[in-house]
Amino acid sequence: MKVSLHLAQEYSNIDLIKTPTDELVKLATERLGGVEGYNDFTNRYDKIVIVKIISCVQHPNADKLTVCLVDDASITPEVKRDKNGYVQVVCGAPNVRVGMLAVWIPPGASVPATFEDDEPFVLGSKELRGTVSNGMLASAKELDLSEDVSGLLEINPNQDNVKPGMLLNKLPGVHDVVIDIENKMFTHRPDCFGQLGVARELAGIQGLPFESPKWYFKPENLPGATGKLSVKVKNEIQDLVPRYTAIVLENVMVRPSPLWMQIALRRLGIRSINNVVDTTNFMMALTAQPLHAFDYDKIAKGDEATIIVRKPKEGEKLHLLDGKTIEPHQDAALICNEDGPIALGGIMGGGNSEVDENTTRIVLECATFDMYNIRRTSMHHGLFTDAVTRFNKGQPAAQLLPVLHKTVKDFVALNGASVASEIADSHPKISKPKTVTIGVDFINKRLGSDLTFDEIATILSNVELGVKVTSDTLEVSPPFWRTDIEIPEDIVEEVGRLHGFNNLPITLPTRDITPVYPDHLLKLEQQIREVLSRAGANEVLTYSFVHGNLLQKVGQDPNDAYQLRNALSPDLQYYRMSLVPSLLERIHPNTKVGYNQFALFEMGKIHRKSAGLTDEKVPQEADVLALVHADTAKTTNMAYYMAKRTLDFLAESLQLHLEYEPVTGAELKGHPYFDANRTAWVKFRGADLTLGLIGEYQPQVTKALKLPEKCAGFEVSLNRLLEGTLFHSSAAYKPISKYPSSSQDITLKIASSVSYGQLFRELINVLESSDYIWQLSPLGIYQKEDDTHKNVSFHLTLASYDHTLKTSEVSEVISSLSDQARKILKAEKV
Amino acid sequence: MEKVEKVKKDLLKKLETLEDKRQILRAPELRSLYAEIPKLPPEQRAAVGKAINDLKEQLEDHLSKSEDTATAKPPIDISAPFGINSQFPEMLPTENGSIHPITREMQIISDIFYRMGFEVSGSREIDDEYHMFTSLNFPEGHPARDDYDTFITTEGFIAPAHTSTMQNRVLRSRKEQLVQGRPIAVLAMDRVFRNEDLDARHEHTFTQHEGIYVGRDITVGNLVATLKLFLTTYYEKDIQVKITPFYFPFTEPSFEFSLSCPFCTDGRNCKVCSSERWIELLGCGMIHPNVLEMSGIDPKKYSGFAWGGGVERLVMMKFDIEDVRHFNSGKLEFLRQFK
Repeated sequence: MKVSLHLAQEYSNIDLIKTPTDELVKLATERLGGVEGYNDFTNRYDKIVIVKIISCVQHPNADKLTVCLVDDASITPEVKRDKNGYVQVVCGAPNVRVGMLAVWIPPGASVPATFEDDEPFVLGSKELRGTVSNGMLASAKELDLSEDVSGLLEINPNQDNVKPGMLLNKLPGVHDVVIDIENKMFTHRPDCFGQLGVARELAGIQGLPFESPKWYFKPENLPGATGKLSVKVKNEIQDLVPRYTAIVLENVMVRPSPLWMQIALRRLGIRSINNVVDTTNFMMALTAQPLHAFDYDKIAKGDEATIIVRKPKEGEKLHLLDGKTIEPHQDAALICNEDGPIALGGIMGGGNSEVDENTTRIVLECATFDMYNIRRTSMHHGLFTDAVTRFNKGQPAAQLLPVLHKTVKDFVALNGASVASEIADSHPKISKPKTVTIGVDFINKRLGSDLTFDEIATILSNVELGVKVTSDTLEVSPPFWRTDIEIPEDIVEEVGRLHGFNNLPITLPTRDITPVYPDHLLKLEQQIREVLSRAGANEVLTYSFVHGNLLQKVGQDPNDAYQLRNALSPDLQYYRMSLVPSLLERIHPNTKVGYNQFALFEMGKIHRKSAGLTDEKVPQEADVLALVHADTAKTTNMAYYMAKRTLDFLAESLQLHLEYEPVTGAELKGHPYFDANRTAWVKFRGADLTLGLIGEYQPQVTKALKLPEKCAGFEVSLNRLLEGTLFHSSAAYKPISKYPSSSQDITLKIASSVSYGQLFRELINVLESSDYIWQLSPLGIYQKEDDTHKNVSFHLTLASYDHTLKTSEVSEVISSLSDQARKILKAEKV
Repeated sequence: MEKVEKVKKDLLKKLETLEDKRQILRAPELRSLYAEIPKLPPEQRAAVGKAINDLKEQLEDHLSKSEDTATAKPPIDISAPFGINSQFPEMLPTENGSIHPITREMQIISDIFYRMGFEVSGSREIDDEYHMFTSLNFPEGHPARDDYDTFITTEGFIAPAHTSTMQNRVLRSRKEQLVQGRPIAVLAMDRVFRNEDLDARHEHTFTQHEGIYVGRDITVGNLVATLKLFLTTYYEKDIQVKITPFYFPFTEPSFEFSLSCPFCTDGRNCKVCSSERWIELLGCGMIHPNVLEMSGIDPKKYSGFAWGGGVERLVMMKFDIEDVRHFNSGKLEFLRQFK
């Protein structure tokens, strides 16, 4: 939203801009908000002057150039002049002629259109094909005043004070400061989409009492209708179009707008079209109320135009001003005549009713549209016009007549038009803003301030809020344009803002000393992070969404994944069902640049449709930890055991003991990337609680993601892990014995079909039933090629609390271990 | 047709001898079979064509089966601590380990608020319209909804664009606390999503910290003081702060919160604040009475404030990180700088 300080001042009763620009912008930032920056045009037109063309001679060496003498009333210093005091300028414009008033950029001045470039174009005195040109005569585009490049900007001599030698920036609106405020800031402030609304705020934030122009409060008297035409409005959808007014004007002459209006529109970022369209747009820029002009002769039948406001009929089409043909949304407010649609109400006019150079009579529309319906229709068609920006904030019906009357008067005064009909006003029922009753105490309590009745009343009435003071409350009645004020909190905001939020005292809230408790899951995650980074692993974050290709590469079924329907990026198609594919995808980019051995881990959320919904009817989420271990070296252990080593280390650090159980291919349906031959279920030892899976990956996955041969990892449920740490962890400490410990190795030969885990469990059972302090650690597993048996060696350390162990005691334990292994697993001691 | 059968036999035999078995699909025998189709009487062409295609499929089948068995790994004892005839595996060197800078910063932030008496929680990654908009006082069809470019699933679920999706849940589940005279103070921190194109300064995925404080007679001054205290603790130095008016549907009044640049003293050549001296940090405001009411809290009795800010921004300023895309890149070159 661009705000021209020149226009704001033009429509103000008080001096808004006596405050230096810098300070005013700072104040606006602090008390109005969302200021993105400002554009100061003050110095842009320095030295640029209005001149009279005295003579025009064909350039001796160039067909299209003219050599002119111009009269600047000799106000420009240090420029070469002839004996009459005129300056020679070479010009290429087709419209240059003796006697016209043009704009001259003298040597030393820069071209305004290049002012914001890194190196603005500064003019000098240069030969053009052998003839000296001192500076240049400029087009409106070069002056950054309009888009017109067809020729020199011609200055109308019939304006106050205009004469040769007058500086260009003396013309109204040339000299300006334009502040840019974020639209988002005013989502709730329909009035601030007009210069008038912001002017009021600029007064309020400076503590000045603003008075809106009288015409905005009360419709001005109109000249009586001189014509015999009429306009009728049939509004069939009063819920979507609460109010619709229209009037017919005649003797309209379509031509370019006056320069000041072109400049004003340009400063506000609105394209100048012609005087008819510009006059309506200017009024919109001023009041935030969009208007539309139809060519009367294109829509009327004889002496009467009938406007029907309705929803579209089945299959009905509308050709718009921008050249597109649409089939309007079923709830669109369509503006029609008897024959069919002529505009998409509140959004864009139709091509069939457009004002063109032959137009002499117009129907002027000034209407109110339901903001939600405007938004729905504009989104549906992808049409975002200046009118939509304003209507979708909700413009009040009460401003229609004031705005329409003022616009008609402008048409009469500026464009010589005359009134040809009475005003048609459909459904002139207007909802009045609510009066809000609020205590001074309430305001001060919310703001932490100490403002008095009077201070508050002044703050509010500065921006034209009606304030009635009763014994201990304020009755605030907002004017019709303040549709945002409904509840006491809105008044609190208004007072705080206009007073200056940064002027409020700041104090910390007070609370008792009740401790808060940590979130167990977040605490666990932090522990895991520390342990795994200690284990040399690197924590990564990867996106929560994945591409369908990735799912395909790892064999996951996309039908179980929640699919995004509107992502801009093609990489974001599905919510991930597991973190593993995302991690696997990150391996190759790292091995490629020379990282040979690493582990990546991530903690995050996964979603599967098959997991169903929560009580709140939103998808179930699961928090998981995943780690992948990659190794491009050929010599080390199998990848699976690397991953297992890391997981066991993590478990031990959390005082948990894990067990690994074989999986079948069928059980891996949801995790098809794991290789069943080398994958295990992870469980807590002694509790029937599955944590997740650990394993190596399928050959196809390895190939598709260019993984190194040695690659393995795990994915475990964080919620289960949390359950484990809360209910299944065992304190690690055992009292230390005063007596020394003894060690002995034991090797057992067992069938290769018996797993290490089975053997280990049997041995542990024996040790756990003894009274010794013990530790059993694996030493090696040996198997000859083609042998049906393997040798498993352990190192046993034993100690007692009450005596030094004898060798015979240790041997006794060793033999009870081998006895047990023989009895259950047919093992032989080697 | 007989010819097809013959070629089939030949090729299957040839397949066993081939070193690069994929070459079978480019065998000249196959090509010459295809070449013969146009010479056949029209009524036979379709049948023969199909027979050749079938043959090709069979060959591919054979190929993929033999490839599978070729690369399929033999089973291992998954309960063992290491493989047969191998060593106990070495762990990776501790000095290679790293914690992600975002999660580390989240920990630092939550620690400070925890010490200040805030509970800390996460938030959801898939949610519904009610929690994203309706419960936060964005009426159906309200233009403020357009300011959030949300990802939507085919079912109409939403990837939250802010952690404010937790406000209703946090307030609703703790409203009893208020009755007991204790304020609600919660920090919700997690991932949020905006449907934007990626560049060095824009991410579709980022992290937000959302603070919620509700009690009796809570003021704008309380909000500013709380955030100021957080920032002076976070940067371990005196920080100036200011608020400027803004608009969010779920707070009234709403603010943009700025702090004086903690990285420079005079703004000269400061990359972080672009020599402006002020850094816009987050959005905040007094919780809208409708939001309290929808959570079952009486806005006449209680008031509160809330804020939402990005974690990436803090990390980027702290370490002078030039590209937001590094965070989710999984590049070890980036990650290992954060031990």
